[in-house]
Parts: sequence; C-alpha cells; structure tokens
Amino acid sequence: MPDITRMRRERFARLQEQLDAQGVDGLVLLGSSSVAYATGAGEPGQDGDRAALFRTVAVVVKGDSAPHLYTMYDDGVPDDLPDDHVHGPLFPDLDDGIELFAAAIADHFPPGARIGIDHQTHAVLRALPDVEWTDAADVVSPAKLLKTPDEVACIRNAQLLNELAMVDARELLRPGTRQIDLSAVFLRRVFELGASANAIDPIWQVMAPTLELGPWTLHGDIAYPTVTTDRFLRDGDIIWVDAGITWQGYASDYGRTWITGRAAVPNAKQQKQFHRWRGVVDAALDILKPGVSARELGKAAIEANDGVRPWIDHFYLAHGIGVDSAEMPLIGTDLGDHFDERLIMQPGMVAVFEPVIWDEGASGYRSEDIVAVTDTGWVKLSGSTYEPFGVSS
Amino acid sequence: MGLEDDARADFARLRKDRRDKVFAGLERHGIDALMLGGVGNVRYVSGARQLGRSGVLPFAPVAVAVRQTARVHLLSTWDEGVPPEIGYEDLYRMSWNPANLAADLAKVPGLREARIVGTDGLTPRFKGLISALVTDAELVDAAPVMAAARRIKTPDEVTCLEVASAIAEAGLSAMEEALAPGITERELLGLHDERVASLGAPHPPSESVCFATPSQGRVAFRHLASDRPIGDGELVVLAPGALYAGYESGLARTRVAGRRPGKAAADLASRCARSMDALVAACRPGNTGADLYRVWENEGNRDCPVPLAHGLGLGAEPPLIGLGRGRNAALDDGMVLSVQSWMTEEGVGGCLERATVELAGNAASTLTRYARMS
Repeated sequence: MPDITRMRRERFARLQEQLDAQGVDGLVLLGSSSVAYATGAGEPGQDGDRAALFRTVAVVVKGDSAPHLYTMYDDGVPDDLPDDHVHGPLFPDLDDGIELFAAAIADHFPPGARIGIDHQTHAVLRALPDVEWTDAADVVSPAKLLKTPDEVACIRNAQLLNELAMVDARELLRPGTRQIDLSAVFLRRVFELGASANAIDPIWQVMAPTLELGPWTLHGDIAYPTVTTDRFLRDGDIIWVDAGITWQGYASDYGRTWITGRAAVPNAKQQKQFHRWRGVVDAALDILKPGVSARELGKAAIEANDGVRPWIDHFYLAHGIGVDSAEMPLIGTDLGDHFDERLIMQPGMVAVFEPVIWDEGASGYRSEDIVAVTDTGWVKLSGSTYEPFGVSS
Repeated sequence: MGLEDDARADFARLRKDRRDKVFAGLERHGIDALMLGGVGNVRYVSGARQLGRSGVLPFAPVAVAVRQTARVHLLSTWDEGVPPEIGYEDLYRMSWNPANLAADLAKVPGLREARIVGTDGLTPRFKGLISALVTDAELVDAAPVMAAARRIKTPDEVTCLEVASAIAEAGLSAMEEALAPGITERELLGLHDERVASLGAPHPPSESVCFATPSQGRVAFRHLASDRPIGDGELVVLAPGALYAGYESGLARTRVAGRRPGKAAADLASRCARSMDALVAACRPGNTGADLYRVWENEGNRDCPVPLAHGLGLGAEPPLIGLGRGRNAALDDGMVLSVQSWMTEEGVGGCLERATVELAGNAASTLTRYARMS
C-alpha cells in the first residue's frame, strides 16, 4: 500500500521543481483536483456548484516547505500539514469577504510576483486587478505527468475497489433492471469497500446496433458516453459501462462491455469484436516502453485494426489518469499528429487504453486497460477479466 | 437522472421561463453574449442533461447565449439530453485542443461581433484564446445576469425542488432505518446513495450525508465518512440530499444510535430545534442575512462553524449567510434557502437540523419534512 505522507511530500517537491523551471513565484489553486494534488486535502464528493461555492483553496509559495490550505473541511486536513499552513475558508466566488482573499495573497506574495492560477472568479479579478496571473496548468500539468510509485499504488487501489463493486452491479444485469438500479448497487458497494468519493454519474449506455439508430452526432461517429436514466434494460442489450471513483484523491476508470441477460453469452460476432479489441490493445502494449511516441502507439493500434482508427473521433486511443480522470498523456486526440509525435512515453506515465471496435449493424466492443509505464515496459493496474467475454491477458 | 417526463413540472415552460429571464438580463445590462462553464449556469440557460461529476473544474465555455440571435449554443457532440429548442446547428464539439474549441466558438453567429461578453469565470489561457480567436469583446462578470435570474424561483422550479425534497427524505429514511450501534458512516452513505439512485437521481449533490458525534470531549462538525463503528447512544447526524432535474434539496435530522434519547440529548435537540425555528421564521422577504445572525445570537448561540443558510436551486447558490459572510444579503420573495442549526455540547454530542425553505409571500415555507428527534 502507498505511503501517503511520502507521496504528498514528493508531489510538493515536483511542484516546487516546476515553479523553478517555469519561473513562476507560486500558485493559487481553486480547482478540486489541483487542490488535492498540491495539498492532499480531503473533501466530500460534491456536485459542481456546491464544490465551487464551498471550494478549498491551495496556495503554493516557491521555496516554502508545505502548501497553504484554506478549507472548511477540517476533517480533511492532512495530519502532516503544519498548523500555520492551515486556514479557514476563503469563498473566492463571493465579493462579500473577498478582501480576506486579497489579504491572503498579499501575505504570501510580494507585489509584482508572477502567480499561476487555475481558475479566476470575477470576484478575485476585481479584488486583485494588478496581479499578472499566469496559467497554473504550465506548472501543475508537468508536475502531474509522471507518477511516483505511491501515486501508482493509489490508482491501482482505486481501480480495485471500482472493479469489486462492479461484480455486484453485473449480477443485477437482467431484463427489467433499470440503468439507475445498476448505479444504486454500484454506489452502495463501492462506499462499503472504501471509496473516498464517487467521481462521475456511472454510465450504462445501451449501444444501438447502427450509428443511425443511436443519438445524432456532430461528427457522425458514436455518441458516448450518454447520461444514465431510468431506462429499462432488455434481453441482449449491449451495455458499455464506464465508471470512476477516487481513493486518496486518485481516480479509477472502469470500462467494460456487458450483455444483458441472466446467462448472456456473446455470439460469434461479438467474440470477434472482443478479440479484435484485445488485439488492438496488445499491439500498442507490445511496443509500449520509455522512448516510444504517442504517434507510434496510435499507428500500431490502427494497423492492428486493418487501417481503421479504433477509437471515437472525440476521444483517444489512451488517456492518462491521476487526480484527474483524464489527463496527460493524451494519445490520439485532436491535439494532432505533431503533438503525438513529440509526446514520448516515460517511466511513471499511466495510460488508460480504451479503443473501440465497431461493426455497423452489430454494435461494438469497448473496454479499458490501465497500465503504468516502467523503466523497461509497463505493468497493468486494472483487472484482467472481461465477463461475459472471458479472461484474457 | 430519470423521471423528467412532464408529469409534475412543465419542463418546456420551465426552460422557456429561464431563457427569457437570461435574455431579459442581457438586455437590461447591455451584455451581448454569455460564455458559461458553471454546472448550474449551463443547466439554467440550456436545460441540457449533462454528465454529473464530482468536484469543480476550471472555467471552460460549455454554453453560449447570444442576445442578437436569442440562441443558446451548447458544447455537446450529440443530441441526447439536449432539449429540442437547441438545434443541431447550435451544438459544438468536445475538443481536447483548446484552439479547436476556440475555432468552433468563433463560428457561433453573433459572438465575434459582440462588444461585451459575460463569463462565469476565466483562466489565463482561455482569456488569451477568446481574445485572439473568438472575439475582442470586453469580458465581464455574468453574475448580474445569471445570479439575478437564478435567485428567484418560478413555480416550476419550486416543483422540482419539492420532488428533490421527497427524494432526500427517502434518503433520510434509508439511513434512519439502518442506524444502529456497530454500523459505520461509510455504510450509511452507501445506503443513502443506493436509495437516492434507485429513485432516479443517481448523482447526489454531496457525499457529506452523515456523521456520528462523540459523547465525550470536543464535538466537531465532520464532512468525510469514517470506518469507525458507531457507538451505542451516540448522537448521529443524518443529512441527505438529492438532485431532481438539476435542482437540489437537502435536510438533516439527528438521531441517537440504539436507544431513546436521554435527557441531555433531548435538551440539546430541543435547543437545536428552537434555534432552527427562529432561523426559519427570520427567512422573510424584506429581512437580510443580519436578521439570521441576530436571531441565532438571541437564542444564546455563539459563532457557528458552518453556514446558517445559503441559496439553493440548480445546486448550492449565493447568498452565503454565516462564517462572517452575508449580513447584507437581501432576502426576497421567491428565494429558496438551505437553513441549518448546529449545536454541540461536550459530554453529549452534536445535533444538526437542516431544511430547504422557500420564501413565499410573507413567510417561510419548509419544503422538506421529517419528524424531529423525540
């Protein structure tokens, strides 16, 4: 299991290295995942506007030994954070009391400091009109890119909890079950097992056999993921499952294809789709090691699918995962081939491979495999069962 | 999210009323367009059902409203969950490349020519991209339009809040039925989410839904579910919540695990209830946040470490009253507030009451119902 205190210390050191490298004097962080990365602070899972109004704020000062945390969630304050770095909440979304936010910034930074910020409220912009803000992403993204062994262990544990809770959900899968019934069982079980928070409204999308019978899309490709409703599932429905929780701030990402029915067995075509999916992931994994580019991984995947790009137009072959459920490295996105050529795999990167195999008329297959890049290759962080398609690699 | 079938609220009318308020606000404030990223703002202006997520992301333009064309545009690659008044031509793609997103926004009719654009946040990167690629308009705060529109609820919005209240009450009963010495907060949270999800609202507004308070030593309000088995006789806060069509309701009651409340617990509960009644009675149109502070102090209470009240609608909203904020916040007819009373006593524990309260006519009407401790 990870050493959480060491993990926080090493993350903070990475932020300090990046502050130095980017020539930035410090950070003011308002987004949930950035605050979690910088401080390790816990807060309850909350919907967007509640998380915004009652947001925690992190301030990182170059050269300091620990981050400053402004929070109303006292029970989420890490034990090892020095008392003089723990403060009450700032409410940067409100003009009422914004002078306290301005005073806090003035406490930490001299006039003229170059400060990175990840989200600017208008109240903050009004209260600090003279600060020259830079984008905190320039510091936070490179720090997050390579995971420490403790971070990898957190992702692995989050994934394990997620997968175990899915066993209970899948047992409920039969005609007449509603999508929300699967959510109900999954959420109950995943909290019993130890999840820190649920990250997204779990997805149980029923895939139409053809693109035309599915939702209309701007790009003519597959619509995925669509939001769960009280839709009844029917015998033989192909379900693309996608869910994510967090543990110690780290995200899981569970993706599988299920077939509705008490003893559903994939037909020959569906088995073929699964094997093709496996082949695509294996083609990428066969060459995955430090030094390989995202472009080479994409090419290997396309080649394994007979020249057809095996992922959805608005997504990717693979995405990174950490305190965000999708972060760098992004492989095969609309950032383009040139971007992918320069994106080189390094030890400590974590990638979620989620190619999609589609047969017009017969729907398709999608699952997700999570791997961490090691010094010589990769190690798998997600489980290796793909029921009802069986066990593989 | 299920159940959005017009059986109770007229959703087409609800969306039209909201859009009308937004466009009237643009007119009134001389703002040409809005670029919105906040979950509640996007839902308010578009009516679209989008994927629920935990936590808050930095600003990104997810919905755009243009005064000149009276159109609402939405970041959605497909039409599922998008209401019919937003056409295919009003949708723009999900992009990982911010330059592609900016290029799509630049094609939104009327946006490039806008002189003043309201946003509900910015990032240094998006500010640069918008200026360089989308519009050279002055970027101003959208709150005078959006917060003002959202503050006063229409009857259809109140109906949604009533449905959310009913779901939240069911969440409370699920936890109350299971509460016994030995169960953990984590298990109660699981039961809460299970009940709320099975009623059609799979993504609850908060996972801070219960905590046991110690019968010895300092009593603190806690937000994160623990693994410790709840002890016999401990006072346990049960504080469920639910979203219906995006509208949030919540309530809280406190119960004793395993037995009937003793005299000390009953006394604490009745002091908590008395302060709660005083707070709710002070939620009257014409009053301000200062009146809530005043009645709280008149009941003999000191500073409260959690808010006395905050707005509710499409999620948590301003005003925030408590924690030093909101003394000047005006309370008006048609607002909905989450109001709470939190009381502690060393050697006994803590007691929380919370209710969703509508300011209607001259008085407060409590939308959430549940038996008090007895």
